[in-house]
Amino acid sequence: MSGAFSFEERERRVHSILAAARRLADSRDPLGQEARRALPAATGLSEAGVELGLSAHLETSVSPDALAQLIARAGSAPSVHVVLSANVFVGAVRAIALALAAAPSVFVRASRREEVMAPLLHRALREADRGVDFEMASTLEPRPGDEVHVYGRRETIDAIRASVPQGVRVRAHGPGIGVAIVDAQRDVMPRAAALLAGDIVPFDQRGCLSPRLALVAGSADEVDAFGLRLAEALEQRQQVIPRGVLGEEERHELTRYRDTMQAIGKYHAGSSFSVGIDLAPRGILLPPTGRNIHVARLEFQGDLTRLLGPLRAAITCVGHMSASPLAALAMTLARGARGLPLGLMQRPPLDGPVDLREMV
Amino acid sequence: MRSFIEASVSGRVPAESFDELGVAILTYQAEHVPAYQRLLARSGRHPADGADIRALPAMPSEAFRLARIAAHPPSDDVVVFRTSGTTAAARGEQALSTTATYECSVIAWGRWALFFDEPKPLGAILLAPRDNPDSSLHFMLQRFAARFASSTHYMQTTATSPIGASALERVCEGAWRAGVPAIIMGTSFAFVHALDALGGRKLPLPRASRAMHTGGFKGRSREVSPSALRSQIAQTFALSENAVVGEYGMTELSSQRYEATLRAEQGLEMSSARQGVFVPPPWMRVVAVDPESLLPVAPGEPGILRFEDLANVDGALAIQTADRGRCSGGGVELMGRSPGALPRGCSLALEDLLENG
Repeated sequence: MSGAFSFEERERRVHSILAAARRLADSRDPLGQEARRALPAATGLSEAGVELGLSAHLETSVSPDALAQLIARAGSAPSVHVVLSANVFVGAVRAIALALAAAPSVFVRASRREEVMAPLLHRALREADRGVDFEMASTLEPRPGDEVHVYGRRETIDAIRASVPQGVRVRAHGPGIGVAIVDAQRDVMPRAAALLAGDIVPFDQRGCLSPRLALVAGSADEVDAFGLRLAEALEQRQQVIPRGVLGEEERHELTRYRDTMQAIGKYHAGSSFSVGIDLAPRGILLPPTGRNIHVARLEFQGDLTRLLGPLRAAITCVGHMSASPLAALAMTLARGARGLPLGLMQRPPLDGPVDLREMV
Repeated sequence: MRSFIEASVSGRVPAESFDELGVAILTYQAEHVPAYQRLLARSGRHPADGADIRALPAMPSEAFRLARIAAHPPSDDVVVFRTSGTTAAARGEQALSTTATYECSVIAWGRWALFFDEPKPLGAILLAPRDNPDSSLHFMLQRFAARFASSTHYMQTTATSPIGASALERVCEGAWRAGVPAIIMGTSFAFVHALDALGGRKLPLPRASRAMHTGGFKGRSREVSPSALRSQIAQTFALSENAVVGEYGMTELSSQRYEATLRAEQGLEMSSARQGVFVPPPWMRVVAVDPESLLPVAPGEPGILRFEDLANVDGALAIQTADRGRCSGGGVELMGRSPGALPRGCSLALEDLLENG
């Protein structure tokens, strides 16, 4: 790579996009105000949900170590073409940061459902006029040697893989889930429930790090109590950050999840969340997105392998409160998953893509 | 229950109506199936209160994967049928304390759809292994062979072994030379494997032969549309397309639905005898319901399918599936599975997360 695209230049480009993000995070900045006006309709999140994303989850800074890792993971290419998904609007910053660190030339195609963040970041970069920029693209036209960074559903990824010319590398960041591991012997259960609720609420649980499953080691009473605590914590969060609009399929799936859990386990629901508890799980039933969590009891250590094994390739993140053997085992099973403390599952360091499975 | 089946297929009026028998079975299940007890308790309804069967909650099909849904203890099981194991996840189970009702239902409706003309002799060619004890489909195929066929040929050594083209050729050629009609039966993906193994070679079967295929592909073979598969089976074995009968069954149920095309071809008038329309037996009701309210949709409108199977005495009479379809004219048309909660990108439905294998 030429000196014009040195490590320092890459650092500068990442810092530039983070400066742009800071404008969006700032509710006094005109761009920040525009984001707050447009994002509720584009994302289906409530105004408070958008505010939470912008103020608490949008990346606006990076540590030197994380930045070095991000640049190492970004790789190099003449051009990077970024295909964004719509589900977690703040993801645009990390995706564009990676692309800017990888290539001197970056093209960004926003999702048709969320055409707010990327154009606002684009405007912020242009207005900063620091020689760092990317192009907004409506089509995808990579050339041999280029990279395509695609975020989103498997169907989207497959379609793009099938459509790009030979010699184009597609780096795909597909669907996934977060899993929380809680151990009644080691963890303070009310605290774990409160932290986990804080991981479920952002983006109404539609991110690929969002926890949809909590595996809880303990007695039936302890697991039951944890589920109740979690329901209470989610109800409290709802008062502050109301859930946005559920999609039709989410509502349909929730009906099935509710009836199944009412038959085989326990089910606690509030106005905008549900907690299903299975105290004798034979398998895992994943609830739909939209603040619904499945709590399954781990009676023996072998239960973790049995229950998590079929899901392991889809796990992007393992949240835990203590460095327990269970958490370590879950990390071993879910190769490539991030290990993050409960409460920070939606705030991974800016050290690469959120989904590191591709890096394994 | 068995007398209901026998009466209804022989044109007699059963001693009890569908609803009377249904309420009696549901009341029994409300007492003995813990999962159904919980579901009823949540709904605030009970069959003994005289509620319409359709107003009572149905057991979601996922529940069979996650818990035992049975009115009897495991020590009384004579067989446990399990859903196909395409993934490492838990498999759905139906535990039976007797196979008599199941067998009665299978034979009665199989006779109606496939064997009503009672061809004799008849060879049975099963695209299946001799042993597969936890497969309800295998149980059904074996009972068909035992009841209706004079000879039976298994085309697989084990459930995972390939279907040998040479063995299939040998059996089909033998049937042709002897002039003995045959019924060839298997899963849709087994037929695809057989057709692929034959590589386009034709194996004509004698007049009055027929085929029965069932189920989807579940990642086990290349995907072929039902109409293309029907056409390829018909061409390969020299059958009319109407002699290729689709079956729609579920491990969790004890009764099957069939296309009535073979009956129509042989002059038995059927208003719902269209390809892709599956007809349930008189001891089963199929209702398309709204996926959110679970209330019935208007006839002909799409919904997710709820089954009320009187032959499901040991488990759950009423089962709510995620299968999309529409009901009209006594038949049900399938429209695929209800998609998972995937409207917004990268969080996933379980089915999409599971590893194959």
